[in-house]
Parts: sequence; C-alpha cells; structure tokens
Amino acid sequence: MKKMKLSTIYLFIVFVILYAPIFYLMFFSFNSGGKMYHFEQFTLDWYRELFHDTRLLIIVLNTVIIALLSSVISTILGVFGAIAIWYVRKNYQKSLLLSFNNVLIVSPDVIIGASFLIMFTVVGIKLGFTSVLLSHIAFSVPIVVIMVLPKLQEMSSSLIDAAQDLGAGRREILTKVILPYITPGIFAGFFMALTYSLDDFAVTFFVTGNGFSTLSVEIYSLARRGISLNINALSTLLFLFTIILVIGYYFIVTKRNGRAVGLGARK
Amino acid sequence: MSNQAIIRFEKVTKQYDEDPPVLNDVSFEMERGRFYTLLGPSGCGKTTILRLIAGLIEPTSGKIYIDGKLVNDVPANKRQVNTVFQDYALFPHLNVFENVAFGLRIKKLKKEEIKQKVREALRFVNLEGYENREIKEMSGGQRQRVAIARAIVNEPEVLLLDEPLSALDLKLRTEMQYELRELQQRLGITFVFVTHDQEEALAMSDEIFVLNNGVIQQRGTPTDIYDEPINRFVANFIGESNILKGRMIQDYLVEFAGKQFTCVDGGFNPNETVEIVIRPEDLEITPPEKGKIQVKVDSQLFRGVHYEICCYDQQGTEWIIHTTKKVNVGDDIGLYFEPEAIHVMRIGETEEEFDARLEAYHEQGVANEG
Ligand SMILES: Nc1ncnc2c1ncn2[C@@H]1O[C@H](COP(=O)(O)OP(=O)(O)O)[C@@H](O)[C@H]1O
Ligand SMILES: [Mg+2]
Repeated sequence: MKKMKLSTIYLFIVFVILYAPIFYLMFFSFNSGGKMYHFEQFTLDWYRELFHDTRLLIIVLNTVIIALLSSVISTILGVFGAIAIWYVRKNYQKSLLLSFNNVLIVSPDVIIGASFLIMFTVVGIKLGFTSVLLSHIAFSVPIVVIMVLPKLQEMSSSLIDAAQDLGAGRREILTKVILPYITPGIFAGFFMALTYSLDDFAVTFFVTGNGFSTLSVEIYSLARRGISLNINALSTLLFLFTIILVIGYYFIVTKRNGRAVGLGARK
Repeated sequence: MSNQAIIRFEKVTKQYDEDPPVLNDVSFEMERGRFYTLLGPSGCGKTTILRLIAGLIEPTSGKIYIDGKLVNDVPANKRQVNTVFQDYALFPHLNVFENVAFGLRIKKLKKEEIKQKVREALRFVNLEGYENREIKEMSGGQRQRVAIARAIVNEPEVLLLDEPLSALDLKLRTEMQYELRELQQRLGITFVFVTHDQEEALAMSDEIFVLNNGVIQQRGTPTDIYDEPINRFVANFIGESNILKGRMIQDYLVEFAGKQFTCVDGGFNPNETVEIVIRPEDLEITPPEKGKIQVKVDSQLFRGVHYEICCYDQQGTEWIIHTTKKVNVGDDIGLYFEPEAIHVMRIGETEEEFDARLEAYHEQGVANEG
C-alpha cells in the first residue's frame, strides 16, 4: 500500500517536471503583457497575429505536407523493406540487414543531416522541398521497418501455408494475409514517421535552403531573434495537435491489438 | 471415375541440407475414398509427408502423383488438395464466414454461390449460425471445425489432417473421432490423417501406415497391424505387448520361455532365432498347474477397465497381463494362451519380405489342409 503511494508520488513529480515548462509556455501565450513573466491580462492577440502571418502559415503548410508525404512514402518503402528482411531465411543475413537498419535509427541526427547535405551537394539536388522530403523519407524508413517487423515475426508461417493451400498466389498472400495481419504495425510505423518528421529539427536544418523552411527550423530562428509570445501561441497549437495525434494513434492501436492479443492469449 | 490411386509416392526422399534424410525412399499408394492414417512418434516425418502431398515443400528426389498426374512441379495453390493444419492456421483478421470463404473468393465465385457454399460447409461441421463470430471468440473445438469447413468447402479430392485432435481434451477428442470418421464417409473423399496416438489410429482408419525414422515400417488395416506387427517397433508402438526371444523349431512349433509351443506361423528356417509377441489381453490367468507357463505376481495396477498385472517367470522374464480378475501380489499363477495368440516375428525383416513369407506359408497351409 505504502509502496503504491510512493510510486504514485514519484510519477506525479516526474510528470510535473516534464510538463511544467510546456504549461508555463502555454499559459503565457495568453498574456497581453508581451513578456514571459508578470501575467497582465488574458488575450488571444498572439493567436490572431499568428493567423495573419501568411509566411508562417505557408511554413505550417510546408511542414504538414512534408510530414504527410514523407510518412506515406516511407511507410510503403518500410513495409516492403520489412517483408524483404522477413523473407531472408539465413539468420546471419537477416541480423546483418537489421543491424544496418538500426544503425540508421540510433545514429545522431547531426551526422545524418550533414551527410545528406554533402550527398545533395555532390549529386546536385537543389536544397529546398525535395531535399527535405528525401531526407525525411530516409530517416523514417528504418523506423517503419522496426515497427512492422515484430508483427511479421509474430505471424505464424502456417498462415502463409494455409493461404497457399487454399489457392492463393504470391500476390493474394500479400494482400489478403500478410498486409491485413500487419496493419497495426503499419499504422504504428506511419504515426511514428509522421511525428518524427513533424518535429525534426537537426536534419531539416542541414538540408533546407532557398527560403524553404519548416516549423521547427522557423521557431528556432524566431527564438534566436528574441522572444515573442507568437512562439508561445504557435507551440501551444503544435502541442495540442500532437496530443490529438497521440490519442488517435492510441485508439487505433488498442482497437487493433485487442483482437490480436485476445487470440494470442488463447494459444 | 477411374480406380487408380489418388496419391502415389515413388521412391520419395526428403533431406534438409546435410542432415540425415527426413524421409527415406518412401513409396506408397492411396486409393480414393478411404481413410488413411499416418502413425508414428514425433519427428518421424508425418508432417513432412503431408506437406509433400500439399505441395508446400518439394521432394529432394522421387516422384509424387496425384490422380495419376506427376505433380512435382505443381505449386500448392494449384493442387486439388486441402489441409487442416495442426495449429488450425485460421486467419485472425477474418471472421468465421470470411475464413471459410477464403478459398472461394480466390476462385472468384459469385457472391451468392460463396454464401451458399459457406453456409453448407458450416452446416456440415455443425457450426451454422456462427458466421459472424471472430476467431478469437471460438473455443478450441469450434476453431477446429472452422478449419475443417474452410478446407472442405473447396471440395478437394484429398483432405490432409495434421494431428487435428491433439489440442483437444480427451472427451472432445473421442467425440471428434466419430465425427471425422462420419464426415469422411459422407464426403466420400480420401482423408490422410496424421496422429501419434495409436488408439486414435486404430479406431478411425481404413488403413494405417506406421512410420519411424522416415521409413514406413508397416501398412495395413488396424487389425492386421495389431495382430501381426512386423517388428519390435510396431509391436511396441501399437498397443502393449510382451516381446520375448525365441527359436523357431520348425513350422508351427516355436520355443520360448524354456518350453515349446504350437503356433500358427511358418516360413522360417529351422532353428531360426525369432521374436515372439503375445498381447497382454491374450493371457489368461489359471491355477499354476493348468497354465502353459508359471509365473509369480510382482505388482498389480488398476487401470479402470482392467487390471495390469506384472509377473516374472522362473527365467526372470517379465510378463504383462491385462485382465478383469484380481490377484494378490506374491501369488503363483499359471498363464494360458491359444496358439493363435502367439505372433512370431523374424528379426530385421522388411515389409515386402514379411508379405511374401505370409503369402507363401498361407498357400502352403491351404495345400496341407487340402
Ligand atoms: N525446414 C526444416 N529444416 C530442417 N529440418 C526439418 C525441417 N522441417 C522438418 N525438419 C525435420 O524433419 C523431421 C520430421 O519432421 P516432421 O515431419 O514435422 O515430423 P512429425 O512426424 O512430428 O510431423 C524432424 O526431425 C524435423 O526436425
Ligand atoms: Mg508433425
């Protein structure tokens, strides 16, 4: 009983520490004073200003487009990549491929960003939309692979045998058995890719140029120029958006998993 | 329909890498409309035979014919064969109806036709009304029926069943044995049923193939195999037996346990060393002086229907007896058995040699009588 209480208090403190700065920032986005201390009066001016800033709106649009495009494309690539790794029968080849995949996930963004910058310069791709999109796809694919692969590995190979036995060819096995089975993993991968793309700063910072910018890069440069409560308003909106994404993701995953877990428990 | 074999294996060998072969030079034929059982201990190659028939793996060498056609190069999805997998392999993302309809949808049948066939198949396995259930909502026995419905809805000529009853509890298993047997008779197609449970095999089959180490040890009807096991392995695996060393004095006269007995076997060399099988239930307990053999009771177990009594004779040979009579531990008792209860096995004899010898001395026997 006592132990429970202690751990609850601990969790509470951790969450307060983690969320306090965000709520502090959100709180002052409604301050008419224009400063991050001394709350004067409630106002929505900063939000109003935000929505009149067409440049910022375009950047928001860019960010969303990059995120959606890159996560869709990387989900497709990642799913097929995962299936390809899964099909590799030799164990050492499989773990080699998987290690290559994981190295990309754990290597620092700065290194990935810098290497992409070098590559784009060498290949002659103009920095801007394309370069950002390509690099976002590149760092998202391994994430999708890592989210999809466990689902594939959990799938009993007798399901494939059964499909074949019932007359399914390669294509039908893929569309009628494998893909439906790993759908939860695909969704998880997609949302992970989406969030990684939305809040990526380091890689984007390296490969963007020619006036193209995304939100995180923009916020960074705004913050450097001096604090305006604009940023607070923008951050608040971003935070709310992320929360919505997470909740949506949670509902999809629990609904799907509910099925799979129920089945597993019976075995 | 022709009466040629529906399935034929010709010298089929299956080997993985450098391991010893999983199946070694296996040849057999299966006829239409019969219930075959592949019986053997775990790892003996039963599933491998099913997968070869289904086309899920390819033989290393040898030929496989289905319905008279060589199918070595025909992929699984083009074979007129369906399987009930050991773990049922139902699709968890589809409900009962869609699981059963899977094969029909691939064949692109019309919606109405699919509906009707699925309903019929589910009725066949007593699952009407379960169409919209999720798989996870079904019990083990029901899942198994879904797996059977999913296979038979495609109207295969051969249904392969890989230990379908092993996951069920004893009562359900016995029920399903009857149902499967009845289903096979109603459908009139060939069933190839895999099990490691000898009682199940004896109860259900038209014909049993006993396998060990990737070789078919013996094939025959349940009574053939039970009454005339070809070797020690089969005698031990099918039912319980007393296996004794003996010597064949001449045809119809055998010596074991220090005495000579008349028997019904022949075709051996004079004084050939042989093995004798006597089933525990063929031994009758008598007063010591009336028995053919005298033994001392060592222990007694109650097994429900019968007592299992363990005795030793003067030479120290163990005798197991199944009887409904109760005896006392330490008693001296006699054992009586008919000549027909003695089954003589030649050591190291193959199935072909066994069959040839059986035929030869049966003919001789008929000639002698005439
Ligand atoms: N893919 C494989 N690779 C290597 N060995 C295998 C493979 N599949 C089966 N075996 C071996 O073949 C033997 C027979 O297996 P199986 O036919 O499944 O036996 P069972 O009679 O229990 O069904 C086993 O020893 C098993 O280890
Ligand atoms: Mg098996």
